Amino acid sequence: MKSIMSRRRGLAAFLLLLIGYHFTPYFVTNLYHLHILNLAGIYTLVVLGLNILSGYTGQVSMGQAGFFAIGTYVSALLMMNWSIPFWSASAMATVMAGLFGAVIGIPAMKLSGPYLVLATVGFGEIVRLVLLNWTPVTKGAAGLVGIPLPTVLGFVVTTEKHFFYLILASLLVGVFIALRIADSKIGRTYRAVCEDELAAEAMGVNINRYKISAFIISAMFAGFAGSLFGSFSGVTSPDNFTFDESVGFLCMSVIGGNRSIVGAVIGAFGLTAVSEALRVIQGFRLVIYGSILVFTVIFMPKGIIGLFRWICGNFSVKEID
Amino acid sequence: MSKSSWWERFTVLVLLLFIATGVGAADAAQVLRIGVVGPESGGGAQLGLGQRRAIQMAVEEINEGKLAGEWTLEVFFEDDEGNPTKSASATNKLIQQSGVKVIIGAIHSSCTLADMVVTSRAGIPQITAGSTGASITQQGNKFIFRTAANDFLQADALIKYARDEFGFKKVATFTAADDYGQSGAKLLREACGKYGVELVAEPTYNNGDKDFKPQLLTIKDRGAEVIFMWGLYTEAALIAQQAQQLGVNAQLCGASGMAALKLIELGGEAAQGLILTQTFLPDSDHPKVRAFVDNYRDKFNESPIPHAAQAYDTVFIIADAIRRAGSNDPRKLRDAISATEGLELVTGDPNFNDNGDDIGKRLLITQIKGDKFEMVKFIKAGE
Amino acid sequence: MQFFLNGLPIGAIYSLVALGYSLIYAASGVLNWSQGDMVMLGAYVGFTVFFFLKLGFISALFLAIVVVALLGALVQYMILRPLREREAPPINVVIATLGVAIICRNLALGIWGPDPQILPSPVSSRPLSLAGVSVTPQDILVLSVGITLMLILHSFLKNTREGKALRAVAQDRYAAQLVGIDPERSDAVAFAASAGIGAAAGILIAPIFFVTFNMGASIGLKGFVAAVIGGLGTIPGAIAGGFFLGVVESLAGGLISSGYRDAITFSLLIVVLWLKPSGLFLRKNRQKV
Repeated sequence: MKSIMSRRRGLAAFLLLLIGYHFTPYFVTNLYHLHILNLAGIYTLVVLGLNILSGYTGQVSMGQAGFFAIGTYVSALLMMNWSIPFWSASAMATVMAGLFGAVIGIPAMKLSGPYLVLATVGFGEIVRLVLLNWTPVTKGAAGLVGIPLPTVLGFVVTTEKHFFYLILASLLVGVFIALRIADSKIGRTYRAVCEDELAAEAMGVNINRYKISAFIISAMFAGFAGSLFGSFSGVTSPDNFTFDESVGFLCMSVIGGNRSIVGAVIGAFGLTAVSEALRVIQGFRLVIYGSILVFTVIFMPKGIIGLFRWICGNFSVKEID
Repeated sequence: MSKSSWWERFTVLVLLLFIATGVGAADAAQVLRIGVVGPESGGGAQLGLGQRRAIQMAVEEINEGKLAGEWTLEVFFEDDEGNPTKSASATNKLIQQSGVKVIIGAIHSSCTLADMVVTSRAGIPQITAGSTGASITQQGNKFIFRTAANDFLQADALIKYARDEFGFKKVATFTAADDYGQSGAKLLREACGKYGVELVAEPTYNNGDKDFKPQLLTIKDRGAEVIFMWGLYTEAALIAQQAQQLGVNAQLCGASGMAALKLIELGGEAAQGLILTQTFLPDSDHPKVRAFVDNYRDKFNESPIPHAAQAYDTVFIIADAIRRAGSNDPRKLRDAISATEGLELVTGDPNFNDNGDDIGKRLLITQIKGDKFEMVKFIKAGE
Repeated sequence: MQFFLNGLPIGAIYSLVALGYSLIYAASGVLNWSQGDMVMLGAYVGFTVFFFLKLGFISALFLAIVVVALLGALVQYMILRPLREREAPPINVVIATLGVAIICRNLALGIWGPDPQILPSPVSSRPLSLAGVSVTPQDILVLSVGITLMLILHSFLKNTREGKALRAVAQDRYAAQLVGIDPERSDAVAFAASAGIGAAAGILIAPIFFVTFNMGASIGLKGFVAAVIGGLGTIPGAIAGGFFLGVVESLAGGLISSGYRDAITFSLLIVVLWLKPSGLFLRKNRQKV
């Protein structure tokens, strides 16, 4: 009973925070800061999907940049070549990424641990190499230039501030959907699969179906984020979707706390901000970044969200286990 | 309790420091702030750090010699790791936070294209000293300039030279699968068509590859008499060595991107006789070139890479422009840059066309002999 | 035939790196993403010993192995032991080793600079022609030193106290503890041995491929692929996987498409994983959880 109460309170606090966040552009007037917030918002969508995958079903993906890339390229190409409006292109990109999620999910359902990691790494690299070498369609290394800006209800999204609201709205919807999934029967089944596959199977759960569906969901989150990212950046190239990018997403997921939806938000915003703040130190910047990663996973084994929970005692924001 | 208040004080102090360094003192009247974006870590670090060193050197020389009139140049560097997203963020930071009025960068074409979205929106002129991607200057963007060597002229000159001097009829290209290599491959293909030589193979490699033997064997099987490489010196040196190991007898040729003295060092015996187009000869008697190469070596204990020379010249172009414009208003600065003429610099006599491409680069055909490049043909300056 | 032969020396390097992955995985169940960077550090230490201490190739090889092996043990004690003590989930361990990789790479960039360095080969690079195919003495050196190292590792595991303890830990960590083996110590031995083998691989390829601060990224990934293809956690699997990958890459690059070479390798890998998750060269499923 107590846990439900505290859960409600946590959720309410979180929503309040989001509403406060809504007013950010009024006091963050520096366009650079706004740009970073927007970027972090897009990354959060990817990490939400990743958390559903890794936190709930225990499957690790180090190829999330591949789905992100598919989302970006599919929506950008649809908009550029066939003048399809942003939302339709974005929807198609999301579906396309989901299809690829199914394709990679099928071999992945038989795999676990390092084998699964490697299969997803391979997937991410294959996507990048195809983008790089399939020049007639993807324009190869040069990438796509002049990706159209999104139009929302007849209103063209142009400035950082406009994008802020577009991304915030997408983020709210994303968080809502992720919370619904986590709370639903599917979410509970995921947790059961994660904790004990054999027991879940014995209870009549079709494990493979759930494992693939988690892959599809995470891919769709990344695909949708990708379509936003393309329009937000205006240009895209295979250099955006390297293995390092996938690693970055995974770090955000783990540092934030991968067994929590709120953890995704914290991880994506936290790590993006840290990596920008470290620009103050030139030279050995990335050495410090690496040290922060090591330090965090040792001293906060459940991510930043885990630390919060520990500080707040039984005030749990969104407990999963 | 006392511990936490100590932390609080510390945090406040750090925040204050951030604000102090970030916003800084208000713009002093005669200071031009220049932002530089480039890969200082990750795969392209040698290019980004070469660019950084050269720009640092140029800025010091200009400020000491008062070469920008009453203006003092102040330079801010940001690392983009060769990632377009980070590059756009870095550019944003330079413009919004550091208050720069002109951007030099980036090196990777993908990064430069991402930065252009930011600079054109902010109305800040941007000069890339390293990106050769064709699409950069073909968008009608009035704020972009390019001081990288002109690849079209190089490809044209190389193919013509190979046909006229050696009578080669079967050629192969071997290019990096990045934007630099692929735009080079396209230009070489067009030049082959123009001069009527047969292109028998055009394999590519991914940057960071170490094993080029499969591609070289294909080239050997197809009977190419000459191989045109388009990429950076590390890969070129490996290709030269592996070609020698496999007994490939074709003449090797390359463009200015790999024309660093380090190529001779890394390639060793296998790099001897390699033919390259470049914009300056490190051993020439030209006073500007002499001074640049000597100072660079003294300062950094390394010989400069071509990207460094291009970046070095870029700073002089900016210094000249600010002197003429007499104002650090980005629009006036842009106009002044586009009107640049009559500067005798390390890589040529800069002169921008309507697209923003520098068409005043010098063009030399050189060959590696012993431990240096020797000039075999001077094409011309300008045009 | 030429393509096949070209794949062997690089295959030997992949085997050495794959051995590192497998050894650590077998002992402690950790996937060590900094393995490639041990190769890079080995090459740089060798380079430094060779040029600044002016010692020969053999002592460079020896010193590099020792220095990097100590570093490997340090990583185990400083980073992986606390993780294990806190019972951190495997994904945290992955991030921690990735963090170590980022630190190593950027420290190397700061110390040795961005330009590639060369370590001269102790043998000539002039090719020898044997029955219509060309081989270089350096290739032969890589192959022979590589195979020697594999044999040394094999006898180390079979015949020494530390090696036997390590094998016992790999078999059953808790049972090993019961008979008085310190698993942390064995983990450190595994890390040191893996890092040392990686360093040797680095010195061996330095004359052919130069030394750069980010050489570890691609070679580490390839070594991992090789280890998994062969069956992660097994010594013969790692060796077979390395040679297999080297040859497949050479054939794919030469006969199909150079641009898609890595894409082909990875597609093949996914198919292998799908059909036979425990690796190509293992008969029974010895997958560790």
